[in-house]
Amino acid sequence: MNKELSLRQISYIYVFISLSSIVRQIPSALAAEAGRSAYISPLWSIVAIVPLTFIVVGLIKLFPGLNLYEIMLQVFGTLLTKIMILAYLLWFILLLATKINIYTQTLQFTLMPQTRNNFFLITLIFLVAHVLQRGLKTVFRFSEFTLGIILFAFIIIFICSINKIREDYLLPVSTFYLVDTARAAVNVVAVGGNIIIALFFSDKLGISTTKMQRGRLWISVGIFLFLTFFTTLSTIGINGASLTAILPFPFYNTVKGISFFDIFERFEVVVTLISMLSDFIAICILFIIIIRCFEWLFNLKEKGLLYGPLIIIVFYLTYYISSTQFEFEFLYRNVIIYLNIVFQYFIPMLIVLFSLFQINKIKKQY
Amino acid sequence: MIYIFLAFLVLIMIKKKNQLLSAKRNLILFLILSCIGLSMGFIYELNPNMPTIAQTLINYMK
Repeated sequence: MNKELSLRQISYIYVFISLSSIVRQIPSALAAEAGRSAYISPLWSIVAIVPLTFIVVGLIKLFPGLNLYEIMLQVFGTLLTKIMILAYLLWFILLLATKINIYTQTLQFTLMPQTRNNFFLITLIFLVAHVLQRGLKTVFRFSEFTLGIILFAFIIIFICSINKIREDYLLPVSTFYLVDTARAAVNVVAVGGNIIIALFFSDKLGISTTKMQRGRLWISVGIFLFLTFFTTLSTIGINGASLTAILPFPFYNTVKGISFFDIFERFEVVVTLISMLSDFIAICILFIIIIRCFEWLFNLKEKGLLYGPLIIIVFYLTYYISSTQFEFEFLYRNVIIYLNIVFQYFIPMLIVLFSLFQINKIKKQY
Repeated sequence: MIYIFLAFLVLIMIKKKNQLLSAKRNLILFLILSCIGLSMGFIYELNPNMPTIAQTLINYMK
Protein backbone atom coordinates (compact mmCIF):
# COMPACT_ATOMS: atom_id res chain seq x y z
CA MET A 1 0.00 0.00 0.00
CA ASN A 2 1.31 3.45 -0.91
CA LYS A 3 2.17 5.46 2.20
CA GLU A 4 1.20 8.99 1.22
CA LEU A 5 1.06 10.58 4.65
CA SER A 6 2.54 10.04 8.08
CA LEU A 7 0.92 10.33 11.49
CA ARG A 8 3.39 13.10 12.25
CA GLN A 9 1.97 15.17 9.38
CA ILE A 10 -1.57 14.50 10.57
CA SER A 11 -0.59 15.52 14.12
CA TYR A 12 0.87 18.77 12.81
CA ILE A 13 -2.20 19.51 10.77
CA TYR A 14 -4.42 18.87 13.82
CA VAL A 15 -2.55 21.50 15.85
CA PHE A 16 -2.37 23.82 12.86
CA ILE A 17 -6.10 23.89 12.08
CA SER A 18 -6.94 24.28 15.76
CA LEU A 19 -4.79 27.41 16.12
CA SER A 20 -7.34 29.90 14.80
CA SER A 21 -10.04 28.65 17.19
CA ILE A 22 -7.54 28.69 20.08
CA VAL A 23 -6.69 32.36 19.58
CA ARG A 24 -10.08 33.60 18.39
CA GLN A 25 -13.03 31.72 19.87
CA ILE A 26 -11.88 29.81 22.94
CA PRO A 27 -10.68 32.69 25.21
CA SER A 28 -13.83 34.79 24.76
CA ALA A 29 -16.20 31.80 25.01
CA LEU A 30 -14.50 30.56 28.19
CA ALA A 31 -14.41 34.02 29.74
CA ALA A 32 -18.11 34.53 29.00
CA GLU A 33 -19.10 31.27 30.65
CA ALA A 34 -16.60 30.85 33.49
CA GLY A 35 -15.33 34.36 34.25
CA ARG A 36 -11.93 34.77 35.87
CA SER A 37 -11.56 31.02 36.52
CA ALA A 38 -11.92 30.26 32.79
CA TYR A 39 -8.27 29.25 32.36
CA ILE A 40 -9.06 26.07 34.35
CA SER A 41 -11.48 24.87 31.64
CA PRO A 42 -8.74 23.53 29.31
CA LEU A 43 -7.73 21.20 32.14
CA TRP A 44 -11.29 19.84 32.36
CA SER A 45 -11.29 19.19 28.63
CA ILE A 46 -8.63 16.50 29.17
CA VAL A 47 -11.47 14.31 30.46
CA ALA A 48 -12.99 14.21 26.94
CA ILE A 49 -10.03 14.75 24.62
CA VAL A 50 -7.82 12.01 26.09
CA PRO A 51 -10.46 9.24 25.71
CA LEU A 52 -11.14 10.45 22.15
CA THR A 53 -7.43 10.20 21.35
CA PHE A 54 -7.46 6.68 22.81
CA ILE A 55 -10.37 5.88 20.48
CA VAL A 56 -8.64 7.33 17.41
CA VAL A 57 -5.32 5.61 18.18
CA GLY A 58 -7.16 2.36 19.01
CA LEU A 59 -9.12 2.41 15.73
CA ILE A 60 -5.97 3.06 13.70
CA LYS A 61 -4.34 0.12 15.47
CA LEU A 62 -7.35 -2.20 15.22
CA PHE A 63 -8.13 -1.42 11.56
CA PRO A 64 -4.69 -0.96 9.94
CA GLY A 65 -4.76 0.71 6.54
CA LEU A 66 -8.47 1.55 6.65
CA ASN A 67 -10.12 4.97 6.73
CA LEU A 68 -13.23 6.02 8.66
CA TYR A 69 -15.57 4.95 5.84
CA GLU A 70 -14.01 1.50 5.53
CA ILE A 71 -14.03 1.06 9.32
CA MET A 72 -17.71 2.05 9.42
CA LEU A 73 -18.50 -0.41 6.61
CA GLN A 74 -17.00 -3.21 8.68
CA VAL A 75 -18.79 -2.16 11.84
CA PHE A 76 -22.19 -0.81 10.77
CA GLY A 77 -22.83 -2.22 7.31
CA THR A 78 -23.44 -0.30 4.08
CA LEU A 79 -26.74 1.50 4.70
CA LEU A 80 -25.96 2.96 8.12
CA THR A 81 -22.47 3.90 6.97
CA LYS A 82 -23.79 5.80 3.95
CA ILE A 83 -26.28 7.68 6.16
CA MET A 84 -23.52 8.61 8.60
CA ILE A 85 -21.16 9.70 5.84
CA LEU A 86 -23.95 11.88 4.41
CA ALA A 87 -24.39 13.44 7.85
CA TYR A 88 -20.63 13.98 8.08
CA LEU A 89 -20.68 15.54 4.62
CA LEU A 90 -23.38 18.06 5.57
CA TRP A 91 -21.60 18.86 8.82
CA PHE A 92 -18.32 19.48 6.99
CA ILE A 93 -20.03 21.73 4.43
CA LEU A 94 -21.52 23.76 7.31
CA LEU A 95 -18.11 23.90 9.04
CA LEU A 96 -16.44 25.00 5.82
CA ALA A 97 -18.95 27.80 5.26
CA THR A 98 -18.56 29.04 8.85
CA LYS A 99 -14.78 28.83 8.60
CA ILE A 100 -14.78 30.95 5.44
CA ASN A 101 -17.22 33.34 7.08
CA ILE A 102 -15.03 33.93 10.12
CA TYR A 103 -11.91 34.08 7.91
CA THR A 104 -13.30 37.02 5.95
CA GLN A 105 -14.65 38.70 9.09
CA THR A 106 -11.29 38.44 10.85
CA LEU A 107 -9.53 39.96 7.84
CA GLN A 108 -12.04 42.81 7.82
CA PHE A 109 -11.78 43.33 11.56
CA THR A 110 -7.99 43.30 11.80
CA LEU A 111 -6.36 44.36 8.55
CA MET A 112 -8.77 45.61 5.89
CA PRO A 113 -11.96 47.11 7.37
CA GLN A 114 -12.90 48.94 4.13
CA THR A 115 -12.72 45.88 1.87
CA ARG A 116 -15.87 43.96 0.92
CA ASN A 117 -16.41 40.29 1.77
CA ASN A 118 -16.61 39.40 -1.92
CA PHE A 119 -12.98 40.31 -2.47
CA PHE A 120 -11.73 38.02 0.32
CA LEU A 121 -13.95 35.16 -0.80
CA ILE A 122 -12.85 35.27 -4.43
CA THR A 123 -9.17 35.60 -3.49
CA LEU A 124 -9.58 32.68 -1.11
CA ILE A 125 -11.23 30.52 -3.77
CA PHE A 126 -8.34 31.11 -6.17
CA LEU A 127 -5.75 30.37 -3.47
CA VAL A 128 -7.50 27.19 -2.32
CA ALA A 129 -7.97 26.00 -5.91
CA HIS A 130 -4.27 26.62 -6.58
CA VAL A 131 -3.20 24.68 -3.48
CA LEU A 132 -5.60 21.78 -4.09
CA GLN A 133 -4.30 21.40 -7.64
CA ARG A 134 -0.91 20.55 -6.11
CA GLY A 135 -2.47 17.73 -4.12
CA LEU A 136 -2.98 16.57 -0.57
CA LYS A 137 0.71 16.42 0.30
CA THR A 138 1.26 20.15 -0.30
CA VAL A 139 -1.21 21.08 2.41
CA PHE A 140 0.30 18.67 4.92
CA ARG A 141 3.89 19.64 4.05
CA PHE A 142 3.07 23.32 4.46
CA SER A 143 1.87 22.80 8.01
CA GLU A 144 4.88 20.58 8.72
CA PHE A 145 7.28 23.35 7.71
CA THR A 146 5.54 26.27 9.37
CA LEU A 147 4.20 24.84 12.63
CA GLY A 148 7.61 24.92 14.37
CA ILE A 149 8.03 28.65 13.66
CA ILE A 150 4.48 29.35 14.81
CA LEU A 151 4.95 27.45 18.08
CA PHE A 152 8.20 29.39 18.64
CA ALA A 153 6.28 32.66 18.11
CA PHE A 154 3.67 31.51 20.63
CA ILE A 155 6.34 30.70 23.24
CA ILE A 156 7.86 34.18 22.80
CA ILE A 157 4.42 35.75 23.13
CA PHE A 158 3.70 33.77 26.31
CA ILE A 159 7.09 34.64 27.84
CA CYS A 160 6.66 38.32 27.01
CA SER A 161 3.15 38.38 28.42
CA ILE A 162 4.20 37.11 31.88
CA ASN A 163 5.05 40.53 33.32
CA LYS A 164 1.79 42.02 31.97
CA ILE A 165 -0.49 39.46 33.62
CA ARG A 166 -2.46 40.88 36.54
CA GLU A 167 -2.88 38.51 39.43
CA ASP A 168 -6.19 40.06 40.51
CA TYR A 169 -7.66 39.18 37.09
CA LEU A 170 -6.93 35.48 37.67
CA LEU A 171 -7.18 34.95 41.43
CA PRO A 172 -8.81 33.92 43.68
CA VAL A 173 -10.36 30.84 42.09
CA SER A 174 -13.49 29.89 43.97
CA THR A 175 -14.82 26.31 44.13
CA PHE A 176 -18.20 27.92 43.50
CA TYR A 177 -17.15 28.53 39.86
CA LEU A 178 -15.69 25.09 39.27
CA VAL A 179 -18.97 23.83 37.81
CA ASP A 180 -18.96 26.75 35.37
CA THR A 181 -15.39 26.00 34.33
CA ALA A 182 -16.32 22.36 33.70
CA ARG A 183 -19.38 23.40 31.68
CA ALA A 184 -17.33 25.93 29.67
CA ALA A 185 -14.81 23.20 28.81
CA VAL A 186 -17.20 22.13 26.04
CA ASN A 187 -15.74 25.02 23.99
CA VAL A 188 -12.27 23.46 24.21
CA VAL A 189 -13.57 19.93 23.73
CA ALA A 190 -15.33 20.95 20.48
CA VAL A 191 -12.04 22.17 19.01
CA GLY A 192 -9.88 19.39 20.47
CA GLY A 193 -12.11 16.84 18.78
CA ASN A 194 -10.51 17.81 15.44
CA ILE A 195 -8.19 14.87 16.15
CA ILE A 196 -10.73 12.67 14.32
CA ILE A 197 -9.39 13.98 11.01
CA ALA A 198 -6.72 11.31 11.51
CA LEU A 199 -9.40 8.72 10.76
CA PHE A 200 -10.32 10.40 7.46
CA PHE A 201 -6.74 9.97 6.24
CA SER A 202 -5.79 6.76 8.02
CA ASP A 203 -5.83 4.78 4.76
CA LYS A 204 -2.92 6.94 3.58
CA LEU A 205 -0.72 5.85 6.50
CA GLY A 206 0.23 2.47 5.14
CA ILE A 207 -0.62 -0.91 6.57
CA SER A 208 1.25 -0.68 9.84
CA THR A 209 1.94 2.17 12.22
CA THR A 210 4.44 1.94 15.06
CA LYS A 211 3.82 2.84 18.69
CA MET A 212 6.13 5.82 18.30
CA GLN A 213 4.19 7.10 15.28
CA ARG A 214 0.91 6.79 17.17
CA GLY A 215 2.58 8.60 20.08
CA ARG A 216 2.80 11.68 17.84
CA LEU A 217 -0.96 12.07 18.11
CA TRP A 218 -0.59 12.23 21.90
CA ILE A 219 2.12 14.86 21.58
CA SER A 220 -0.14 16.96 19.35
CA VAL A 221 -2.96 16.69 21.89
CA GLY A 222 -0.50 17.83 24.56
CA ILE A 223 0.53 20.82 22.43
CA PHE A 224 -3.13 21.67 21.82
CA LEU A 225 -3.91 21.66 25.56
CA PHE A 226 -0.75 23.64 26.37
CA LEU A 227 -1.61 26.32 23.79
CA THR A 228 -5.24 26.51 24.90
CA PHE A 229 -4.31 26.83 28.57
CA PHE A 230 -1.65 29.52 28.10
CA THR A 231 -3.65 31.49 25.52
CA THR A 232 -6.64 31.66 27.87
CA LEU A 233 -4.43 32.41 30.87
CA SER A 234 -2.59 35.28 29.20
CA THR A 235 -5.72 36.71 27.58
CA ILE A 236 -7.74 36.78 30.79
CA GLY A 237 -4.69 37.77 32.84
CA ILE A 238 -4.02 40.83 30.68
CA ASN A 239 -7.50 41.92 29.53
CA GLY A 240 -9.62 40.70 32.42
CA ALA A 241 -12.50 38.24 32.08
CA SER A 242 -15.26 40.80 31.44
CA LEU A 243 -13.40 42.48 28.57
CA THR A 244 -12.25 39.14 27.11
CA ALA A 245 -15.85 37.93 27.03
CA ILE A 246 -17.04 40.77 24.80
CA LEU A 247 -14.05 41.26 22.49
CA PRO A 248 -14.37 39.65 19.04
CA PHE A 249 -10.67 38.69 18.91
CA PRO A 250 -9.36 39.00 22.48
CA PHE A 251 -5.94 37.42 21.96
CA TYR A 252 -5.27 40.06 19.27
CA ASN A 253 -5.84 42.77 21.88
CA THR A 254 -3.70 40.88 24.40
CA VAL A 255 -0.74 40.74 22.09
CA LYS A 256 -1.10 44.44 21.15
CA GLY A 257 0.40 45.48 24.46
CA ILE A 258 3.31 43.06 24.39
CA SER A 259 6.85 43.88 23.30
CA PHE A 260 9.92 41.65 23.12
CA PHE A 261 12.61 43.38 25.26
CA ASP A 262 11.52 46.65 23.54
CA ILE A 263 13.10 45.33 20.33
CA PHE A 264 10.04 43.85 18.57
CA GLU A 265 6.56 45.26 18.90
CA ARG A 266 3.22 44.89 17.15
CA PHE A 267 3.06 41.12 17.51
CA GLU A 268 -0.66 41.32 16.80
CA VAL A 269 0.06 41.23 13.07
CA VAL A 270 1.78 37.88 13.66
CA VAL A 271 -1.30 36.62 15.51
CA THR A 272 -3.54 37.68 12.62
CA LEU A 273 -1.20 35.98 10.18
CA ILE A 274 -1.18 32.76 12.23
CA SER A 275 -4.96 32.84 12.43
CA MET A 276 -5.26 33.41 8.67
CA LEU A 277 -2.85 30.61 7.83
CA SER A 278 -4.64 28.24 10.18
CA ASP A 279 -8.02 29.09 8.66
CA PHE A 280 -6.63 28.73 5.16
CA ILE A 281 -5.21 25.27 5.85
CA ALA A 282 -8.43 24.27 7.64
CA ILE A 283 -10.44 25.35 4.57
CA CYS A 284 -8.17 23.31 2.28
CA ILE A 285 -8.45 20.24 4.54
CA LEU A 286 -12.23 20.58 4.77
CA PHE A 287 -12.47 20.77 0.97
CA ILE A 288 -10.39 17.59 0.69
CA ILE A 289 -12.48 15.76 3.32
CA ILE A 290 -15.76 16.86 1.67
CA ILE A 291 -14.60 15.51 -1.67
CA ARG A 292 -13.54 12.25 0.05
CA CYS A 293 -17.02 12.00 1.60
CA PHE A 294 -18.56 12.43 -1.89
CA GLU A 295 -16.24 9.72 -3.23
CA TRP A 296 -17.26 7.32 -0.44
CA LEU A 297 -20.93 8.16 -0.67
CA PHE A 298 -21.31 7.74 -4.43
CA ASN A 299 -18.36 5.41 -5.16
CA LEU A 300 -16.86 8.05 -7.43
CA LYS A 301 -13.70 7.52 -9.41
CA GLU A 302 -13.37 11.09 -10.71
CA LYS A 303 -13.14 13.47 -7.77
CA GLY A 304 -11.87 16.63 -9.50
CA LEU A 305 -15.25 17.27 -11.16
CA LEU A 306 -17.03 18.27 -7.99
CA TYR A 307 -14.76 21.13 -6.87
CA GLY A 308 -16.51 23.59 -9.22
CA PRO A 309 -20.12 23.10 -8.06
CA LEU A 310 -18.95 22.73 -4.46
CA ILE A 311 -17.20 26.11 -4.55
CA ILE A 312 -20.45 27.76 -5.71
CA ILE A 313 -22.51 26.10 -2.95
CA VAL A 314 -20.01 27.05 -0.25
CA PHE A 315 -19.64 30.60 -1.61
CA TYR A 316 -23.35 31.33 -1.29
CA LEU A 317 -23.78 29.29 1.91
CA THR A 318 -21.28 31.68 3.51
CA TYR A 319 -23.76 34.51 2.93
CA TYR A 320 -26.71 32.43 4.11
CA ILE A 321 -25.00 31.44 7.39
CA SER A 322 -24.26 34.76 9.07
CA SER A 323 -23.45 38.31 8.14
CA THR A 324 -21.92 39.75 11.32
CA GLN A 325 -19.49 38.69 14.01
CA PHE A 326 -22.30 38.70 16.57
CA GLU A 327 -24.40 36.30 14.48
CA PHE A 328 -21.41 34.06 13.93
CA GLU A 329 -20.67 33.89 17.67
CA PHE A 330 -24.28 32.99 18.35
CA LEU A 331 -24.30 30.24 15.74
CA TYR A 332 -20.95 28.91 16.89
CA ARG A 333 -21.84 28.76 20.58
CA ASN A 334 -25.36 27.42 20.14
CA VAL A 335 -25.15 25.12 17.13
CA ILE A 336 -21.64 24.37 15.84
CA ILE A 337 -20.16 23.36 19.20
CA TYR A 338 -22.89 20.79 19.86
CA LEU A 339 -22.73 19.43 16.31
CA ASN A 340 -18.97 19.09 16.76
CA ILE A 341 -19.49 17.06 19.92
CA VAL A 342 -21.88 14.68 18.11
CA PHE A 343 -19.65 14.12 15.09
CA GLN A 344 -16.29 14.18 16.85
CA TYR A 345 -17.15 12.20 19.97
CA PHE A 346 -20.49 10.46 19.76
CA ILE A 347 -20.06 8.67 16.41
CA PRO A 348 -16.46 7.47 17.08
CA MET A 349 -17.70 6.17 20.45
CA LEU A 350 -20.48 4.29 18.65
CA ILE A 351 -17.91 2.77 16.28
CA VAL A 352 -15.82 1.58 19.22
CA LEU A 353 -18.88 0.14 21.00
CA PHE A 354 -20.03 -1.74 17.90
CA SER A 355 -16.54 -2.97 17.11
CA LEU A 356 -16.23 -4.34 20.65
CA PHE A 357 -19.16 -6.64 19.87
CA GLN A 358 -17.33 -7.94 16.80
CA ILE A 359 -13.80 -7.84 18.16
CA ASN A 360 -13.03 -11.53 17.50
CA LYS A 361 -14.24 -11.32 13.90
CA ILE A 362 -12.21 -8.15 13.29
CA LYS A 363 -9.02 -9.54 14.84
CA LYS A 364 -9.23 -12.62 12.62
CA GLN A 365 -9.13 -10.41 9.51
CA TYR A 366 -5.91 -8.59 10.43
CA MET B 1 -21.11 36.88 -9.61
CA ILE B 2 -23.71 34.29 -10.53
CA TYR B 3 -22.96 34.73 -14.24
CA ILE B 4 -19.25 34.23 -13.63
CA PHE B 5 -20.04 30.99 -11.79
CA LEU B 6 -22.37 29.93 -14.60
CA ALA B 7 -19.62 30.50 -17.14
CA PHE B 8 -17.19 28.66 -14.84
CA LEU B 9 -19.48 25.61 -14.76
CA VAL B 10 -19.94 25.61 -18.53
CA LEU B 11 -16.16 25.80 -18.89
CA ILE B 12 -15.72 22.78 -16.59
CA MET B 13 -18.38 20.88 -18.55
CA ILE B 14 -16.61 21.53 -21.83
CA LYS B 15 -13.15 20.84 -20.45
CA LYS B 16 -14.07 17.65 -18.61
CA LYS B 17 -16.70 16.39 -21.05
CA ASN B 18 -15.18 12.92 -21.33
CA GLN B 19 -14.95 12.38 -17.58
CA LEU B 20 -18.49 13.63 -17.06
CA LEU B 21 -19.91 11.35 -19.72
CA SER B 22 -17.81 8.33 -18.73
CA ALA B 23 -20.18 7.46 -15.88
CA LYS B 24 -23.80 8.44 -15.46
CA ARG B 25 -23.42 9.17 -11.77
CA ASN B 26 -20.62 11.69 -12.43
CA LEU B 27 -22.90 13.68 -14.73
CA ILE B 28 -25.97 13.45 -12.47
CA LEU B 29 -24.04 14.46 -9.35
CA PHE B 30 -22.33 17.32 -11.18
CA LEU B 31 -25.66 18.60 -12.49
CA ILE B 32 -27.47 18.27 -9.15
CA LEU B 33 -24.71 20.08 -7.24
CA SER B 34 -24.49 22.77 -9.94
CA CYS B 35 -28.27 23.30 -9.79
CA ILE B 36 -28.18 23.60 -5.97
CA GLY B 37 -25.29 26.09 -6.14
CA LEU B 38 -26.83 28.18 -8.91
CA SER B 39 -30.29 28.28 -7.29
CA MET B 40 -28.69 29.39 -4.02
CA GLY B 41 -26.94 32.07 -6.05
CA PHE B 42 -30.11 33.24 -7.85
CA ILE B 43 -32.07 33.42 -4.58
CA TYR B 44 -29.28 35.44 -3.00
CA GLU B 45 -29.01 37.79 -6.00
CA LEU B 46 -32.78 38.35 -5.93
CA ASN B 47 -32.84 39.18 -2.24
CA PRO B 48 -29.39 39.88 -0.80
CA ASN B 49 -30.85 41.20 2.45
CA MET B 50 -32.77 38.09 3.41
CA PRO B 51 -32.29 36.98 7.03
CA THR B 52 -29.38 34.64 7.57
CA ILE B 53 -29.64 31.23 9.29
CA ALA B 54 -28.05 32.75 12.42
CA GLN B 55 -30.54 35.66 12.42
CA THR B 56 -33.46 33.26 12.10
CA LEU B 57 -32.12 31.17 14.99
CA ILE B 58 -31.60 34.27 17.14
CA ASN B 59 -35.23 35.34 16.55
CA TYR B 60 -36.49 31.82 17.16
CA MET B 61 -34.52 31.23 20.35
CA LYS B 62 -35.25 34.60 21.96
